Amino acid sequence: MQKNSSLSNIILSSTLLMTSLLSLPVVSAEDFPKKPVAMIVAYSPGGGTDTAARVLAKFVGPHLGQRLIVQNKPGAGGQIGFSNLAKAKNTGYKIGFINVPSIFMVKMLRENVPYEMSDFEPIANIQLDPVVLAVNADSPLKTFADFLAAAKKDPGKFNIAGDGPQSNNQLQVVVAEDKLGIDINFVPFSGSGPAISAVLGNQVDAAVPSASSATNHVKNGRLRVLAVFADKRYSYLPDVPTIKEASGIDVPGIGASMRGIAIPKGVSAERKAHLEKAFAKVMVDPKFIAHAKKMGMPLNYMTAQEFSAYLVEAEQAVKQYIHLLK
Amino acid sequence: MIDNILLGFVTLMDVGMLSAIAAGVIGGVLIGMLPGLSSTMGVALLIPITFSMPAQMGLGMLGGIYLASTYSGSISAILLNIPGTSAAVATLLDGHPMSQKGQSTRAIALATFGSCIGGMISVIALLFIAPPLAEFSLRFGSPEFFLLALCGITVIASLSAGAMEKGLIAGALGLLLSTIGNHPLTGFMRFTADIPSLYDGIPLVVALIGLYSIPEVIDMIVRDKAGQVPIRQRDNANPFSFLPEVFRQKVNILRSSLIGVIVGIIPGVGCSVGGFISYDAAKRASKTPEKFGHGSAEGVIACETANNAVTGGTLIPLMTLGIPGNPVTAVLLGGLMIHGLTPGAELFTINADISYSFILSLFVANLLFVPIGLFVAKYCVKVTLIPMPVLAATIVALAVIGTFSIRGALEDVAIMLFIGAIGFILQLFGVPRAPMVLGLVLGTLAEGELARSLAIVHGDWSAFGIQLVTRPISLVILIFCIFALIQGVMQHRKKSKLLE
Repeated sequence: MQKNSSLSNIILSSTLLMTSLLSLPVVSAEDFPKKPVAMIVAYSPGGGTDTAARVLAKFVGPHLGQRLIVQNKPGAGGQIGFSNLAKAKNTGYKIGFINVPSIFMVKMLRENVPYEMSDFEPIANIQLDPVVLAVNADSPLKTFADFLAAAKKDPGKFNIAGDGPQSNNQLQVVVAEDKLGIDINFVPFSGSGPAISAVLGNQVDAAVPSASSATNHVKNGRLRVLAVFADKRYSYLPDVPTIKEASGIDVPGIGASMRGIAIPKGVSAERKAHLEKAFAKVMVDPKFIAHAKKMGMPLNYMTAQEFSAYLVEAEQAVKQYIHLLK
Repeated sequence: MIDNILLGFVTLMDVGMLSAIAAGVIGGVLIGMLPGLSSTMGVALLIPITFSMPAQMGLGMLGGIYLASTYSGSISAILLNIPGTSAAVATLLDGHPMSQKGQSTRAIALATFGSCIGGMISVIALLFIAPPLAEFSLRFGSPEFFLLALCGITVIASLSAGAMEKGLIAGALGLLLSTIGNHPLTGFMRFTADIPSLYDGIPLVVALIGLYSIPEVIDMIVRDKAGQVPIRQRDNANPFSFLPEVFRQKVNILRSSLIGVIVGIIPGVGCSVGGFISYDAAKRASKTPEKFGHGSAEGVIACETANNAVTGGTLIPLMTLGIPGNPVTAVLLGGLMIHGLTPGAELFTINADISYSFILSLFVANLLFVPIGLFVAKYCVKVTLIPMPVLAATIVALAVIGTFSIRGALEDVAIMLFIGAIGFILQLFGVPRAPMVLGLVLGTLAEGELARSLAIVHGDWSAFGIQLVTRPISLVILIFCIFALIQGVMQHRKKSKLLE
């Protein structure tokens, strides 16, 4: 026993010595990153995802030790960008800003999508942008209860605008229909912006935009948000009840758009750790937080482990409802 | 408001501010000229640079890029018959024939002054009557968008230049191509051949590069083989000598500016449509419509005035409501947000100094692209002197690089070449290509809005029909549409009779 343990001690200490000998020079020679890091954004310049990515890129630079350059690979609802990230070289110089649940939905709704979720390794989650239920400020619907009554009165006739088709917003609508026992008419628009315009112009009864795109219109007094599809209230609209507070029913907020950092699998542990540390640091950087606040960016940091766990959970939840979008 | 404008003026009179605008304009002129580099890309590329600048300076620079690139797409359209940006498709209809007559400088001068005046008028609208115009833009719902697209399709008649049947064939081809991609309401994939680049439909920029540059290159090679030498006349005209010619067309300019501003404030329509509609309107109103398509000054002025009038128009819903009307203003919205500026009333009260200096900087940008554009164009005119094999090879290289640079997808290059082949076949048979572009742009809009209109009335066609005639704006567009069709048919008949 005694001998055995001393042997293991020797092994342990020699391993430690070996690793330190091996890793020390590697770390100093490694010096990652040596050149700017590219971040794939699967959406067009100017959208919510792109703007967030560019602001993040600016502030993470000092923590990363190199510039982070945004590369837009838009198209096919994110598929082009996500596929690109899955196939990227795993040197750590190419990372991606991924959108959940879009990244699952693209995979589940289409055939021949050339990536698997296992092709990615999460680094950190940055944002959580829930879906909200919004009506025109002049609408007779004052509360979520009013909305429920209106939706129940005329099944299938209540028009609700949202980004779509087959978007996270539509996913949130079908989940809500299922849990609340209602039947509403989802009208897809090409983005949250046009959906909001349709509500402002009274072309539809309500809209389900992302919280971040609705906030400004609420502050301008043109839009009223009746509920937010999330567990917690949305920090920039603190007076708006969560769906559970408003209806008493727990509607999973899986339509919420999560934006986080992921890398293609197989990046060396050291480089991965460096990336994780850089994004962890930027998320507590007061300058970044202040700027995000000024812009109304809904930050929600998750470590790689937390983000991983969330992804597994969200994938299951999305799977459960995806057939309703086909 | 006046004091805010004065305040903005004070901020503007700053060396740093003015040089930021100038830098934006120079960059914009270059980006707009190169096919494949779009205004959207230019603004997006520079947003990170504007981070570290004061807000008004950064925005001034972005505004400069937007306005200048919208204008300078006309330079390559005129000289090479290849539109630098989608806004310039209508410009090449008359701009290039004018250039082929050896009047390149005249065409560019007319385009430049037209753009400047159209841009100025639209910024005046932005400065003084933005709020009511923004309210007006909200009254456009899906039925109105659908009719607007339909109305735009009637413009095909004007673009066909005497060969109505051929124009209709090209238009129908464009409409057919517009059905490629996912269905706007169900997401069902159509004719995509499992190529992700086609899931959202044929990308417009890619289609334009292929449709115009590839046939042009083939044409150059053919002409070179045939031993044809390009007209090597030195075009030494002073661009400013054409200024009186522009001012003689007051009605045309006013009408085109008005069309441009209105198209601009309606979200989702865009610069190219503005150019097409005002080209059509100018042709209908013209005393010499037969000159259109053969180097008509009216045509060049009409579409260039209108497409730059769209720029100020698109900023109206953007700044007052936070609704971007086209991809460029979507990027600009990002630029505003990055500087912590939220569109809406706040922009004109709390942040009035920044907003007004931004609007005033647009005036400066509109003025600045005149000398900068003319200076650059002076050298660009010399491309007509480059030996054709060299020019052809350069254009192919630019077309491939430009297409690939959009998102680094080789499929896009294949699509570009495929559309190029279609363009070549069309050119071989003398079929005009502009109607195809119109069909491609408006087909997507018409289909999506029709489907959406029907979804809103739960698939009830009769309810939709009633909506078309009971909604005031929709009724006006409908009447306008019918009128345009009847006038088009009558003109065509009259011409056919004359030929007999």
